[in-house]
Amino acid sequence: MKINTLINKEPGYAICSIENMKIFKKLRDSFLKNLKIPHKYKKNINNARVQIAKMSKAEINRSMINFLTFNKNLSEMMINSCPKLIKDLCGKDLFIQRRAHTTINVPGNEHTKQWTHYEMISGISPFTYIFWAPLHDLDDDGGAYHIDLKTSLKIMKKEEKEGLVNGPRVLEMMGLKKPPRLKFGQAIIFNPFVLHGNIPFQSGFARIACNVRFQSCNKPLLQKNTDYLKYFRLS
Amino acid sequence: MTIAIINTDMNIGPFRIPGNGQNMITNNYAERNNFKVEEIIPEPFKSRSLATTQWVHKKKRLKIVILCSIHQLPLEKKRIKDLVNNMKKVEFHFALEGISGKGKRFLLDCIQEAKIFKDARIIDSQKTSWSKLYKIKNSKKY
Repeated sequence: MKINTLINKEPGYAICSIENMKIFKKLRDSFLKNLKIPHKYKKNINNARVQIAKMSKAEINRSMINFLTFNKNLSEMMINSCPKLIKDLCGKDLFIQRRAHTTINVPGNEHTKQWTHYEMISGISPFTYIFWAPLHDLDDDGGAYHIDLKTSLKIMKKEEKEGLVNGPRVLEMMGLKKPPRLKFGQAIIFNPFVLHGNIPFQSGFARIACNVRFQSCNKPLLQKNTDYLKYFRLS
Repeated sequence: MTIAIINTDMNIGPFRIPGNGQNMITNNYAERNNFKVEEIIPEPFKSRSLATTQWVHKKKRLKIVILCSIHQLPLEKKRIKDLVNNMKKVEFHFALEGISGKGKRFLLDCIQEAKIFKDARIIDSQKTSWSKLYKIKNSKKY
């Protein structure tokens, strides 16, 4: 089945391969360069992940400040690493997230509970897509799970009848999910009506992933504007 | 050489930000970037020309100005020309977009980006629902 159909219809998401690994590896190198850990651990992403897994929340937060420099071109790098697929979904003229996200999840039960949610909760346009990619192989449950569109919509309609958005029914869905084990160079692209999240995981490694949101600039916006998006033309 | 924050009409492109909200945003931006604000320039209600700012610049030689958004820049040709000519050496900061720069090219790029967003259609979030938004996503009308 075509990736476009998987993302827009069922199941609402697709695992795809990064098209330009040169750019994506550069992105990972740039992340390692900006990471506040001893230089000897920066040569290998897995060594860096072990060091991050040992950090306190405060240390990670301090480290995140350094990523502001890294994040400056992150959106463009992510978009340029999958140009054909993005062009197929949205055309060449895009609104892309001004500042893409880097998320670091530390193993252990006290960490990494990103509860189940729709991307729509932030007020992005329904025409937005989310591109999520880990910076390493995912050999444990540190990834993100996605719930098929049909189920997500059924829950959304139930909540709407009750006058709720992301209420307890959604928040308590986290328990039994199993995130897929992706390889470095794979990404998940999904539409904003798909429920997703991550679960606490046990591992010696932290999980590092980047994500960016994009839409065609010919499609309407919702609440997000220049505060969140910028114009970008694919070459 | 002065650092100033600029307050304008509360209707800022797609945003509605009251004056005290604009002050909070621009002062917070200044604080995060270690700028010491010396001047607050109030642009009049309904004005899109930044004429007061240009007048103050002539008197006080502004070095840095901080605005909330690129949507506060003028859109009329004549007003753009005046702003670019008079303030090309001043560093502009836009707090919500988190971008800064100076010179003719930078200002014109910001104005162009604001125009692209101004021309984009916007779904009225107060008149819709989650189900309607899903229908809109699949509608050929859009």
